[in-house]
This record gives sequence, C-alpha cells and structure tokens, in this order.
Amino acid sequence: MASDKLRVDALVVGGGIAGMQSALDLADQGYQVALVEKEASIGGKMIALSKVFPTLDCCSCITTPKMSAVAHHRNIHLLTYCEVQSIRENGGGFVAQVLKKPRYVNEDLCTGCRQCEYACPIDLPDPFDRGYGAHRAIRVPFSTAVPQIAVLDIENCLLCGKCEQVCPVSAVDFTQTPQQLEIEAGSIVLATGYEVTPRDAKKEYGGGKLPNVIDALFMERLLAPTGPYGHVLRPGDGKEPESIAYVQCAGSRDQTLGVPYCSRVCCMYAIKQAMLISGALPLADVTIYYMDIRTFGKGYEQFYQNAKAMGIEFVKGKVARITEDENQNPIVRVELIDEGSRVVERTHDLVVLSVGMLPRYNPQPLYGVPVADDGFVEVPSPNISPCVTDRPGIFVTGTAAGPMDIVDSIMTAGAAASEAAAYLRARKSASSVSTTTGKERELVYA
Amino acid sequence: MPETSEIRRQKDSQSNPQGEEIRIGVYTCHCGGNISDVVRCEKVAKVLSEMPNVVVSRTHMAMCSDAGQAMVEEDIRERGVNRVVIGACAPSLHEQTFRRTVARAGLNPYLYYHVCLREQDSWVSGGDCEGATEKAIRLMAAGIAKARHLKALDPIRLDAKQRALVIGGGVAGLRSAWDIARRGIQVTLIEKSPFLGGRMAQLETTFPAGETARELLHDLIERVLAHPNVTVHTRAELVGVRGYVGDFHVQIRRQSRGVSDDFAQAQAEAAIAACPVEVPDEFNYGLTTRKAIYRAYPGCTPATPAIDWENCTLCGKCLQVNGQGIDLENKPETFEINVGAVVVATGFRPYEPRQGEYGYGEFPEVVTLPQLIRLLALAGESEGLEWNGHPVRNIAMIHCVGSRQIEGIHEPQPDGQVNDYCSRVCCTATLHLANELRGRFPNVNVFDVYQDIRTYGRGHEDYYTQASANMVRFLRFHAEEPPEVVPAPDGDSCPVLVKIKDYLTWGEEIEVPVDLVVLAVGIMPRPIDDLIKMLKISPGTDRFLLEVHPKLRPVETAVPGIVLAGTAQGPMNIQESCAAASAAAAKVAVLLGQGLVELEPFVARVDPERCRGSGQCVEVCCYEDAISLQTFSVNGREVQRAVVTPANCTGCGACVSACPNRAIDVQGWTLEQYEAMVDAIAADLPASEVGV
Amino acid sequence: MAEKPKILILATLSGGYAGANSVGQLRKDYPTNTYILPVLCPCLFPEDFYLRAFERGIDGILVMYSGTDSPYKGGPERAAEIINRVYPMMKERGIDTRRLRLVAICTVCTGPFLKEVNEMNDLLQELGPVRRERSSTATPQPQTVQSRE
Repeated sequence: MASDKLRVDALVVGGGIAGMQSALDLADQGYQVALVEKEASIGGKMIALSKVFPTLDCCSCITTPKMSAVAHHRNIHLLTYCEVQSIRENGGGFVAQVLKKPRYVNEDLCTGCRQCEYACPIDLPDPFDRGYGAHRAIRVPFSTAVPQIAVLDIENCLLCGKCEQVCPVSAVDFTQTPQQLEIEAGSIVLATGYEVTPRDAKKEYGGGKLPNVIDALFMERLLAPTGPYGHVLRPGDGKEPESIAYVQCAGSRDQTLGVPYCSRVCCMYAIKQAMLISGALPLADVTIYYMDIRTFGKGYEQFYQNAKAMGIEFVKGKVARITEDENQNPIVRVELIDEGSRVVERTHDLVVLSVGMLPRYNPQPLYGVPVADDGFVEVPSPNISPCVTDRPGIFVTGTAAGPMDIVDSIMTAGAAASEAAAYLRARKSASSVSTTTGKERELVYA
Repeated sequence: MPETSEIRRQKDSQSNPQGEEIRIGVYTCHCGGNISDVVRCEKVAKVLSEMPNVVVSRTHMAMCSDAGQAMVEEDIRERGVNRVVIGACAPSLHEQTFRRTVARAGLNPYLYYHVCLREQDSWVSGGDCEGATEKAIRLMAAGIAKARHLKALDPIRLDAKQRALVIGGGVAGLRSAWDIARRGIQVTLIEKSPFLGGRMAQLETTFPAGETARELLHDLIERVLAHPNVTVHTRAELVGVRGYVGDFHVQIRRQSRGVSDDFAQAQAEAAIAACPVEVPDEFNYGLTTRKAIYRAYPGCTPATPAIDWENCTLCGKCLQVNGQGIDLENKPETFEINVGAVVVATGFRPYEPRQGEYGYGEFPEVVTLPQLIRLLALAGESEGLEWNGHPVRNIAMIHCVGSRQIEGIHEPQPDGQVNDYCSRVCCTATLHLANELRGRFPNVNVFDVYQDIRTYGRGHEDYYTQASANMVRFLRFHAEEPPEVVPAPDGDSCPVLVKIKDYLTWGEEIEVPVDLVVLAVGIMPRPIDDLIKMLKISPGTDRFLLEVHPKLRPVETAVPGIVLAGTAQGPMNIQESCAAASAAAAKVAVLLGQGLVELEPFVARVDPERCRGSGQCVEVCCYEDAISLQTFSVNGREVQRAVVTPANCTGCGACVSACPNRAIDVQGWTLEQYEAMVDAIAADLPASEVGV
Repeated sequence: MAEKPKILILATLSGGYAGANSVGQLRKDYPTNTYILPVLCPCLFPEDFYLRAFERGIDGILVMYSGTDSPYKGGPERAAEIINRVYPMMKERGIDTRRLRLVAICTVCTGPFLKEVNEMNDLLQELGPVRRERSSTATPQPQTVQSRE
C-alpha cells in the first residue's frame, strides 16, 4: 500500500499529559504538530486517575478538555493507534516511518455509538481498569476516549461478524491492513511516559499472588466514578474493607529491585487516596507505612497535614513482608522505627502497594537518544536545560525523563515546547538567507 | 431507503433588526440509529419544519459524515440558510466540526447552534420513545429559538506587541528571556540589583550533576547578552503599568550605576580599594564586608563596579584614583516601554530565622545553610575548617528551619503566618553539603537532624545514600518536639549542644556537642508587594505568587499576559526553575508569537443606549480591568457608561445579572437567547404534535 | 394523561453539562422531561430570570454548576448569592422553594446527577404543576397590569 506523507514542524511521541501539553504549546504558537500515540485513545495514565492532588480536582475534568483541545486543534494532526518504526535524519530534520495499526473499524465512518461493543460476545480483561473490569473484543477504549472510535482486538476476536451486522454505518472492516505513514518533522518531542512497578515484582509482598494486595493504580480505578465496581471493594471477595494499609516505596528506593531512586508521586497519591477512601468509607481505618513522607510540591505539605488531622494513621516503618491469613486478609510485617525498630505483624483487609515509576521506553535504538543508568532519558545538562537530550532536535518531556507528577510534567511540557520552537526557528534562519532587518542591538547597563 | 427527508414550506418569516430575513436550517441526526432508535427523527423534523423562520428541516443518517456536512453547505449556498441548528451527539464531539462546516459555506461560524440529542436524550431515555421524541422537539425548538437571536461574532483579535518584559535577572528570568528571544520575540529584562545572576550566583557546586553554579550561570548570561533580541537593564525597577495583554505600557525606573562601562579594570580595583566604607556583603550573607563601590563577586556580570547609593558617603576617595568615569550623583531616570506580556521572575529569599530560633543570633556558632555555602567557598583549599577562630570538628545540620511549620508549635512570622510548606530544595542541598564536608574535612563529624529526608529528584537519592556511606549521623525528630540549641556547660569540648529526642533510637534524648550548627533554612518569596499591586496579580496563602490552576494553566496569573517563572511561584531548585521559566516563555510565545492575540468572542458587551452608569457591573466583576466606568459626553452632558475591556473579560456573566437596566450581555450567551429558549421549552407543542 | 412536569437544567459546560454527557455514556436512564441548557457560569442569570421561567410554566429548575472546580473567579459564589435571593421572592409568589436547586456537578459526577434529577422529578410529581401553585397562592398577584398612558 502506498504510504501517506505528512510534513510537520514537530513530531510529539506519546499522547499522555506531557505529550498533549507539549503539542498544544507548540500548536498554539502556530507550529504544525503530529502527535503519535500507540494506544487507541490519547489521555495516557492521567485519564485513568480518580482525582488529582493537591486540589482534588476530578481528574477527568482536567484531562478531557486537553484531550478535546488536541483533537480539535487545527495545527495538530492526531495519529492514534500508531507507532513510530524508524527515524532518519534529513537535513537537520527527521523523517519518521509510522505504522498505523488496523482498528478494523473505518475511522471516517465510526460515530462511537458502541452498538458493536454491545453485540460482541467476547469479554476480555480491561487494561484501563488494571485488568479487573472487562471489555469487549471490539470497543471504544473508555467512556471519555479521544477519538471516540471503536477498535477491534483481532487476536481475541471470534470473527463472528455480530459487530459488522449491527454497525449502523458499516464501519467494521475486517479487511483492514497495517498502513505506513511517513512524517517529516523539524524536531521531535519524546513524551513516552512511564510504567508502574509490576504487581509481582516483589516476592516479599506476595509476588502479585495475594488477591487483597492491589496496586495504587487499581485503587485509582476503584475510587473513580467510572471504575469497575463503582465502589471501593476488595477484589478477593467483594467485601467492603474496614482496614486499609498503604505500603510506601513498594518499588522505589529499593536496591533489591534495582530501583534506587524515589518515584516522587507515591507519597502524595497515597495520601490523596487515603483521603478519598475516608470519604467513600467513612468508617474505614487507613494506615500509611512509610520511610519518609515526601510532600514537597506546592500545597503538598499542607495536604499531608490535613490528612493527619483527618485521622489517617502514618507509621514510619519499612514493611518487610506481606502474607495473608486464612480469610485472605493481608498480614503486614513491619519494623516500627519510631518504636525502636520493634517488628510487629498487623492484619488489614486490603493492602495497597504504592508502586513506583519505571522507564517505559528506551529511545536509544530508534531515536539515538541515550538513557541514563536509571533507564530514563539522559539529560546532559539537567539544571539549565532539563528537556534537551543528547541528540540535537530531539527533546524530552514528562516522565520519559524520570519520575515526576502531573504539575511537573506539564511544566516540562511547556519547556520542551519552548526548546523545540527555538530549535525550529534556528534551523529555519540557518537554512534561509538572513532576512532580519538588522535591528539595533541594544545593551544597556545602568 | 432515502437518507434524508426534506420538508420545506413557505411561511411568514421573522426578520432581525438589521432587516435580514432569518432563515434557519434545522438538522436532526439519526446517528446511525443511536438517536433514531429512540427518537422519532422524522417526526421531530416535521414538527420543527412548521416553526417560524425554519426554511429547511432535514434528517440524516450521520450529520458528521461528509455527505451530512455537504448537505448543510448546500443549503447555505443554494437555499439562503443563514442560521444552522443541528441536533446530534454531544457538542464536545462535533460542535467545532459543524462550525467549520458552516464557515466553509461562507456563514459566520457563530451562527451555528448545537443541540445534544444523543448523550442527553436518546441514550438516557430507555425505551421511552414518546418522551424522548417530545424532549428532542423541545430541545431543538429551544435551539431554533436561540438561533433566531444569534448574531455573527468575530474572535477578539488584539494586536500583540512582540516584546516581553522579564522582571528579575536570576536564573529563571535569564532562562525565560533567552527562550523568548530565541523564539524571535524582543525581550527587555530588568534586574533590580546592579548585577545579574540572582541567588544562583551565590551557590558553588550544584546537584545533581555537580556542575559549578557560576559557570552554568555565566554561560547562560553570555548567551542572553549575545542575543540580538535582548535588552538588559540592571538597577531597574518596574514603577508603573497600564494596558492589557498584547499592549502593556510599563514604566521602568533605572538608577545610575555611578561607574561608566569604559572605566578600566585596573582603575576599578584601585577605586574599590580606596573606598573607606565597609558594609556587610550580602553576597556572602554578611560573613564578609564590601565597599560602597563594589562588584558582587569576582567575574560578575556586568564587570563594571557599581556605587552603593545607600551607603556611599560621597567622600570622593574613589574619584581621586581616577575621576574619569565615576559620577557620584545618582540620576534615576524613568522611561516607558510597550510590551505584550510580562514574566515575573522575582525569585526568593532564604528564610531569616528569628532571634533565638535554634540559637540563631544568640550564639555565633549558629549559621544558615546559605551562609555555610559561602563559608566553605571562602575557606578555599584550607586543610581544616575554622569558624569564629576555632577549629570545627562537629557540625549539626538541622532541617526544616522556616519550613513545614505548624501553627501552635512554631512561632508565627511577623505577618502572623507560619511557613506551612516544604521548601523542596533544602534536603538535597543539606546532604550535598554534608557530603562535601565529609569529603573535604574527613575529621569533621556531621550530624543530620531531620524529620523526613526528601531527596525526591532525579539523582537526589544518591546524595542520601552517599551521606549514609560517608558516616553522616542521622537523628530524626518529630515536628511537635523540635531540637534545641543550648550553650554547652563550661569546660565542655564544644561551645553548644544540640538536644534532640531522636526517634531513630526510640525517642531517646540525645545531646550532641557541636562547634557549628547549620540551619537548613527554607525558601520565602521576595517581598514584592508593590509589584503585586501594580500588576494586580495575587499571592496565595503561602505568599508565593498564585497561578490560575496548577495543571490547567500552571504559569499564568489571573491577569492575562502576566506569567510566572521560577521561585516567585513557589520553592523550586535550579532545574525546576529553568523548566518553569521555559514553560513561561512558551506561554509568552503563544500570546505574542503571531503578533495577534485571538480570543473567543464570548465576552461581555455593553449596550450604551441602555447603560445608565450605575456601576454595579464594575462592583461584581472579579477580574481586574475587565469592566470600568468611563465618562462620555452625550448631547453636551457628561455621563458615565460601562466599558468592557474584552482582553480581560472571561465571559462569566456576573455583570449581566448585576445590571439593573439589562444593558450588558455576554456575546453568544445572551439573556434574551436564554429567555427565548426557556419559552420554547415551556411552550405547548403544536397541535399536530398532540399525542406523539 | 397528566402533563409531565418540566425540569429546566442549567448546566455549566465545565461541570454539569459534561457530567450529563458522562451519564449518557453510561446509558443510565432518567426522566425525559428534563431540558438541559449549556451555560458558561450561572452567575449570568439575574433573580427575575428564574421567576420568569416559573411564570412561563417551568416546574423545576436545577442549576448544575461547577462549584469549586469552576474556571470563573467568584462566579459560583455570586450564582449562589443570587439564588439565595430568589428563594424569598418565590415564597412571596407562593412558589415552593424546593423547585429551585443549586448543585455542584463535576464532569464525571454521574451518580449525583441522577440523584438530583430523580429527586427533583419525584418532588415535582408531588407538588404538581407550578401554574397551579401560583394560582392558589394566598397573596394573589395583581391579575392585570394597568397599561400606562
């Protein structure tokens, strides 16, 4: 199939909050932007969250306007369900070969009505709900997905044709094939995001086998109004938990996992979730086992103090092991540092692991952008140029350059946009005859 | 099966006041059954077709399809449709699509109204076809009613002056100025002091990469100064502002430097040496003194010395070295420049502990962390560390001084407040320094007295790990039981004791005899009350400048065109300040980069015929300079009339409800339109519709 | 068949209106006699707007604003002030004040949205049409307005 071509000023890789914000900050300046997202919807990790700290804004209320702005922006070409396959340099700019994966649904026809989803007989674990909820083999990825276009998981499809029959606009197309797209871009912004510590990473914490030990991202879904149960229940037996424990640094600051660094967000999200649980289950006790509480951002310390005042229990202690009793209640073995490092075992109904942030994508092979020892994109001059990578013309934003929260991701997104804009301008003026009118240089010292 | 149904009829049509006949095209989308399975779309179309001003009423399988859009365009071109109402999915999905559709056909895009028949009707009405159909008719009727009152609108376009003002010559201001300049926008940077570099110049090695602060800074300063788009004024302050985004007029007052640029280096040294005045040197946080003609530090920018007007006695000794190039009369000048946006990068000041806080000001052995940084720099290559004439063998570093304060435990500041925030940088800075101390002076014991170690940043945790490996002794206190610094009993080996209830050893009371106590003081915003008043921006409860929303608009203030960069907004380290400064520059580029600021036209509009100048609108408006009373002459009589500054209006409508004369409306969302919609919803359905 | 009460819902684009769309996404049913109009901020509406709507035959009004999530400074507070002033005016006219409610609804507040709509509908079934209430008022309004010469 003939490959389509697109010429833009900047290619943004990744449609999470950082990528979206970078794309918007460039597009609002008048630059043409291609935003490539490998999933079927933009929104990244953020759109799956319940509420965001420290304002406790509903997360969807912050994310959806940005998603919609990206989708409707006249300077942004949104390419979802696409992956960059190769990059080559071209006169200071780049040419990206992009694979457009088949949705098996005609994007121009689909109205997002979900008739196909209702007709589909296949139920699969929904990654949006951390595998706890279910979705159909053909579905609109989630209620606030952008674009609102169905996608078919062909690997799990029975090819029963029910979706095709019910689609009112005949958008289902089993004959779709992958397509190639060529994007010529003056600069690239990497916004490839992060991964969380896998639930089975730590054998001492049950290795992912204890049903009532969940990770914090799943708790986000439990707390979200659109979550899988619509209520905070423990997955083991659907019981409403009365005692919930958070284990901090479950995957961060842990040499045994090869993750020596702090993931920056876990203290705040645990406190936020604890507060939301207090609202959802007013009678539940919430305990947070921590090493250091790191509430360093604007308004964060105040948030922590409020949580303490609300009665959330903070216990300084390193959790050594989690097991369970005969009723699948998790037992937490913890060294109480404030009590002379006494080791105790405490039973809770539900344990939430405050999992950390891991690098998700290594851009070295494709983009020639090296990563540092921690696996995140290396930034050679971190203080003055926090978004500049080792390769000219390629910039980095958000958690691709290390753990950070949404506020910091958005800041670096603006910074990466600034860098890319300046790079594009310098390239333009270098490649054309100087047209500046020779403005008087004015340097004044008092 | 026919895809569309067309019902048209001739009827009496209403005209708008401009005499233009209002011809409305109404379209009810089936949404491939999503709407039409529940709502009887043909019925809806038929009922609507009989309504006044409706000249076309159609349905379509998918209005958003090319065919659906083409139908609308054709009706505008061929049938003179000049208002369009489409009932379809949620406006968040396709309102923009259809605005573009009508615009393509030559109609003003604001003569379009979108009705939600899917998410708010067919999808939520179960099997109640009759109810859903009636609801659709009423919602569409309301849309038609609004359409009758729609007016063509144009986006508000403001010429944007392609120059920005950056206030503050520290790293954030410099970084912001550089980004703006590189983006092709002119920048004027003003710095209050005679030298550039701000607080960063007072640092030595930086975390996490170990680079030398002043080298990084000088590199940045050189790039800024070398950029043809940049103008720098030192010793300059903002003294007045008027105007709005795209067109601010700012007054700047600049004091004389007292020393001209061509004053030779060698003579400068001699002139400085000749000055008899000695004042505490702020660069070294008062650890040393400087003259009244001075440079901030060796290698500072500009290199030309400046006269300290406050402390100069005009004795003229410096003139005797060489009178040429020194002028001992301060001749402040004020000038005005025109800028499109303002970046506030006024930075921070270290918390100044109150007298007696952890012995500060009582015992000479108590210093602050910024002072220790200067102290170590001044110590140079010396083998041992000395302070106050005594060798230093034991140092205690106390965290969270002036940070994480709790009301009722900590004494409030002079303004009655406590600093209840974390200052973000002190933990890593303290450990960074602790490691340096252990490295340079292996015989010095370091005791780190903390609550929580917050080495959160990339590479920061390494400093903590390294400190433990370096045998830095950690002692942990609870906020309610802060450590105390007391004089050591006579004959003790050390001058002071730090008493602490250490929770790493089961709350044991420990006394640590030390030669030096270092207070890791927090970050406070610089006092900039005048600037805040002038710019009409606001600080938050923590006194740092407030952004509109930490995630939606993190660098913007409530005043359009005024953005924040760096520690004026909150504690940040160098890296975070630079990211924030670049983000601020991106916002400036968005505003000014295209020479034009374009805003949605949904802002208040005053009808001068109806306005009686009551001023109630001005009273309720929460936005600075969005609406004001101005004096006009009407038939030779002076009257007051409200005037909206569209650039500052958000369209909230507070003024609309406040106006006793209904003289104000929000364009595109007028009260008249709402009343017409309410009437349409409340109205009885046409006879033909009885018994849907 | 008795006429169904008419519920007018003034919903902010940043709050209730988007929340209503979320309800739609979830295909949760609620009564059809509900008419949602998008608003930027309800502080736009003066007291008489509400009174006029009741006069025209709107039986209940739900103002779904964005509360503390509002992008408009001071807007939610002002809307609340205005509505608080409407209540005594409703009383004066014999209109049950429960017919007007100001509630904060966020973009994914589907539960609260449904609760408010259903409760208002139940209440209006119980109260009956606003027209009847206004005609049975103890202190009758002047029936005719003298035309001024």
